[in-house]
Amino acid sequence: MCGIVGYIGYRQAQPILFNSLLRLEYRGYDSCGIAVSADGVTVYKDAGKVGELEKKAPRLKGAAGIGHTRWATHGEPNQVNAHPHCDCSGRVAVVHNGIIGNYRLLKKQLIAEGHRFISETDSEVIPHLIEKYYQGDLEEAVAAALKDVEGCYAIIALADGDPNLVVAKKGNPLIIGIGDRENFVASDVTAVLDDTNRVVYLEDGDLGVVSAAGIKIMRDGREVAWEEKKILWSVEDAHRAGYEHFMLKEIHEQPRVIRDTLIGWLSSGESSGESLVDLTKMQGDARPLTILACGTSYHAALVGRYIIEDVLGIPVRVELASEVNYYERLLVGAAAIALTQSGETADTLRAMKRLKAAGCLLLAITNVVDSSVTRIADNIVYTRAGPEIGVAATKSFIVQLIVLYSLAILSYKVDAGRLTDLVMELRRLPEKLQRLLSGKDRIKEYAGYLSGYENVFFIGRGINFPVALEGALKLKEISYIHAEGYAAGELKHGSFALLGENTPVVAILARDNTYGAMLSNIKEVKARKAPVIALAEEGDDTVSEFADMVISVPEVDALFSPVVNVVALQLLAYYTALERGCSIDTPRNLAKSVTVE
Amino acid sequence: MKQAIILAAGEGWRLRPFTVSRPKVMLPVAGKPILQYMVEALAQNGIRNIVMVVGYKQEQIFDYMGSGEQLGVDITYVAQKKRLGTAHALAQAREVAQDEFLVLSGDKLIDATTITRFVTVKPESVLVKRVESPERFGVATIEDGVVKGIAEQPKEAGSNTVITRIYAFSREVFDYIETELAISGVLNKMIARGKPLHACETDGPWLEAVYPWDVLSLNSVVIPKARAEMGGVVEKGVSLKGQVSVGRDTVIRANSSVVGPVVIGDGCDIGPNACILPATSIGDNVIISPFSEIRNSVIGNDVAIGTGCAIQDSVVGNGCAIGGHFTALSGEAEVKVNDVYHSVKLGAMLGEGCSIGSGVVAQPGVILGNYSEVQALKLIRGRLPDKSLVF
Repeated sequence: MCGIVGYIGYRQAQPILFNSLLRLEYRGYDSCGIAVSADGVTVYKDAGKVGELEKKAPRLKGAAGIGHTRWATHGEPNQVNAHPHCDCSGRVAVVHNGIIGNYRLLKKQLIAEGHRFISETDSEVIPHLIEKYYQGDLEEAVAAALKDVEGCYAIIALADGDPNLVVAKKGNPLIIGIGDRENFVASDVTAVLDDTNRVVYLEDGDLGVVSAAGIKIMRDGREVAWEEKKILWSVEDAHRAGYEHFMLKEIHEQPRVIRDTLIGWLSSGESSGESLVDLTKMQGDARPLTILACGTSYHAALVGRYIIEDVLGIPVRVELASEVNYYERLLVGAAAIALTQSGETADTLRAMKRLKAAGCLLLAITNVVDSSVTRIADNIVYTRAGPEIGVAATKSFIVQLIVLYSLAILSYKVDAGRLTDLVMELRRLPEKLQRLLSGKDRIKEYAGYLSGYENVFFIGRGINFPVALEGALKLKEISYIHAEGYAAGELKHGSFALLGENTPVVAILARDNTYGAMLSNIKEVKARKAPVIALAEEGDDTVSEFADMVISVPEVDALFSPVVNVVALQLLAYYTALERGCSIDTPRNLAKSVTVE
Repeated sequence: MKQAIILAAGEGWRLRPFTVSRPKVMLPVAGKPILQYMVEALAQNGIRNIVMVVGYKQEQIFDYMGSGEQLGVDITYVAQKKRLGTAHALAQAREVAQDEFLVLSGDKLIDATTITRFVTVKPESVLVKRVESPERFGVATIEDGVVKGIAEQPKEAGSNTVITRIYAFSREVFDYIETELAISGVLNKMIARGKPLHACETDGPWLEAVYPWDVLSLNSVVIPKARAEMGGVVEKGVSLKGQVSVGRDTVIRANSSVVGPVVIGDGCDIGPNACILPATSIGDNVIISPFSEIRNSVIGNDVAIGTGCAIQDSVVGNGCAIGGHFTALSGEAEVKVNDVYHSVKLGAMLGEGCSIGSGVVAQPGVILGNYSEVQALKLIRGRLPDKSLVF
């Protein structure tokens, strides 16, 4: 998915274009660019988020321009492939959202006719086609160019010396925003709502000519009357698709993203071309495999340690990347995994460079195609979470776990029976999560309870110890309640002094060898009068005798319990923050990825 | 007509166990929810501004439909907090309704032809259709193309023309809603006050799932129309006959036989030596192990079916894990829903997330509730509630 925008009027186009592109970041944010026309067309584009480009872009003068923000699924998000794309002369610039089905053929023909292509994208054929047909009228040239094109598109074209933007739509969304002596074009209404709430929705096959003074829409070669719509809802509502917050939307997307991530690998090797790395081969020697990460990814890495050690019997060491950078003697093994959602985490990047210099083989797991980590790592595995807008990581964390499970399980070659069981359990996770999500009312109720406190402890053992850390982090991040994640056995080494009636404890249980010990811990906590909310498997009748409240999660193999438990804790944090009226998608003082050390 | 309001808030309790975790409009038919067929029908007729009134398990609709972009439409969601009836649901859309709009009950399976003519009519109009057993519906009395009265589920129907719950209204309709809870009440009020209500007849498809086994009949109607797409890997020695659609990253292993119409989703692992017969639809991320035969059935997402199973005229909910040699053969069965017995030819209806051990035999017509567990070698029959344990 990509987002496109256009502006033509009396103001400087550049700030308006960037502002509109920011509104479209939900459609992708790995590379972007603008083209502005004054005396000649100037293009500025690069890999990176809209906000970053906005800061470093030179001031381009001009009151007409187009812009694009991209989310690469195939092909690299780099400067060359970013939009806008130009023709040979640099006089025509085009932004495109969609897929040109016959671009290979068109490109071949155009090259034969002497056109020069720079990028690997399908979109670049459009400006060249327009150049081919251009005889002083952009509208006619675009109409002629689109006759050659098969596929779907929403495009905005700009040409030096032409007083109009020419737009066209087939299969991808495009709207025109009507202003006063200025007009706007965008993939959707959210991009223009800061400036106008009067919009025209284009139909498939429409060709529009937009100038500062007015708009003209052509359908089947005839001009048609257009209908103006007033938009009454606010920008915020638009792309949360019914949900109140992006975070809740993203929590609910998790069953699907897990399925998408699994589908590529489980049936495959054979079908998808992308194959997972064999961890057993990667390790190389007897020294431990290192996992580097920060923040939420660090918690995923801690879970990963249990998974890899349990399934493969390979020793794993998990390091905070920010700490590794200050180890005077770097005693890591022959191989390391770097876990970063954004692929841009500065601490992780620096640690990777140090490790690489020490001769370490690096595997990067990231959600962003061609982000900085991928240029350092020897191997890359992409999580397929799609763009994540909520600052608190939810689906990107879950998919990191799924990738770690897949890496471990698909590297396992000892017992075919156990392998089948593990794969089966993995495949059933989406449905288990769906079940948890549809039964979330109980969690809402307990969140209401939790929202009244200022200090909360999260305790877990074994593979659910990192889950306690993650549960506490989520609560802190978005509800601003002070929360501590503890290994349950560590409570009695000091923190007991803090427990009392006003410090609820969330205890995370799993049906593994830690279960009995966790029950004893709950008893200890209850003895200090602290209220206990337990997370336990459905049908666990024992725990309700000890805990004050029980959140039931679907039954899974204990190895996979972090997946269901984390999602339950995400919901708990979300509804607690909602109850406290916090700004959930953009918590104070936090940014999505930390690119400073 | 540029806007459509789809009423999608209902639960459909007679369809349990399949509606415990999803609203009725999200029942899957040939790999897509019923609601998607309606949205596609509207888009094909040029209606892209869609308002959905949602309520019961609305997240399922949000997750699947999103903002509508994948389907080329713009969706605005409106919540019906209390489910009091169709007119009450429509009233929730008052703020966003344009001057003229269509209103559709989202639980009906239609295609583009059903409404092609209707999208051009003037309000206030009702789409009607002749059916064989009108007693289940709202029966319309029509004179000269104008509706004179509507009788809801009459004991004796005066005609076989029923209202399809698809309407063309102007904003005036909101003035008639007042305290009415059902749209048919609103229509009768319009008629009583002399507001002409035009009838427009359709002969396009218009189907509804009322009982769990209706999922099978809807599936068999739609599946022959599904587009044949080949997205996965088909190994050597596989026989594909008729219209077969295979999703991306799916593998069909050696010596399997697939006879269309069949729709198989993404990321499935089928065979070797599996047999998929008409008219079967299989969801995403499904394993079908060697020597299993599946015929005229609907299999959900994330399902694992063991070796040597025989499954006929059955529905298997999302996330079921079925051991080897499970048998669900079709037969005549008396199935009780809401204290009424229905005589149907049926295999097994399995709810979501069930675990079934190996060698289990399902008697024709069994309805197993969601999240149930059946131990190996058991016989299941009758109606078992959610979370049943059979051991």
